[in-house]
Amino acid sequence: MTATVMERRIRLSGLLVVVGLLLQMLTLPMTHPLAFVGFILLGCPLVAAGMLFFLYLLVSHETP
Amino acid sequence: MNTTPLILISFTAIAAALGLLTALRPELTRVRGGKIFAFMALCILPALAMWAGVNEHLERSTSTQFCLSCHVMADFGKSLYVDDKSYIPAVHFQNHFVPPDHACFTCHTDYTLFGDYKAKWRGVHHVLVEYLGTIPKPEDIKLYTAYNNRECLHCHAGMRKYEETSSHHKNPEMLAQAASNQLSCISSGCHDTVHDVANLKDATFWTPKENGK
Repeated sequence: MTATVMERRIRLSGLLVVVGLLLQMLTLPMTHPLAFVGFILLGCPLVAAGMLFFLYLLVSHETP
Repeated sequence: MNTTPLILISFTAIAAALGLLTALRPELTRVRGGKIFAFMALCILPALAMWAGVNEHLERSTSTQFCLSCHVMADFGKSLYVDDKSYIPAVHFQNHFVPPDHACFTCHTDYTLFGDYKAKWRGVHHVLVEYLGTIPKPEDIKLYTAYNNRECLHCHAGMRKYEETSSHHKNPEMLAQAASNQLSCISSGCHDTVHDVANLKDATFWTPKENGK
């Protein structure tokens, strides 16, 4: 896997994490069921997907 | 003022900023230090932010304010202020037998290993119905299953007033039957006035004095 492909994938995983964290940040000031659902059903899966994708990149990366 | 949300928001913002930096400059990961930085920014910090956020949201979702923020729950909230001792929730709420700021959750959670999570899962379903489904009238809202005495006995079991009151000894087996849930506390004709939202228009209400004065 070339460095560029790897870096592009890291970028994708970073963006997933950032979008998830931003969603979580938006819901944190609110005490409302919609905020809870937004956090649990949107924010968490996005962050988890980004983290898991990054971890997958780590283990799938072949060192030259 | 509760500072926990502010700390959490700040922490999440820092994690997001570091994640963004990694996303914008992935070439950082070409060196060892950059790899460690990326691991912190894309794994450790987001995981910590998520864990803290889940805890905060779960804790907040146990508040009375949270439950009553859906319009359909307004009458149930109102029933907590009925000035009538036969209304079980009102007596518990007004006398602080349950924490007033966690009143709904205290009685409507199964005191079992996964009771909290079951309650939250049902809550998610309620939110979907509120926004995507047909909202029932307050008086048509029913419990999923018959109210289990376990939830009452979580506090009342072992309580002197509960165990010694004469009405609980009408027959010698009464307490044992209540403990085994064979005799319901609320549907056996004893403590059967619960929220009774259908009859709220005829009720009189208690107004708490401000600041407890």
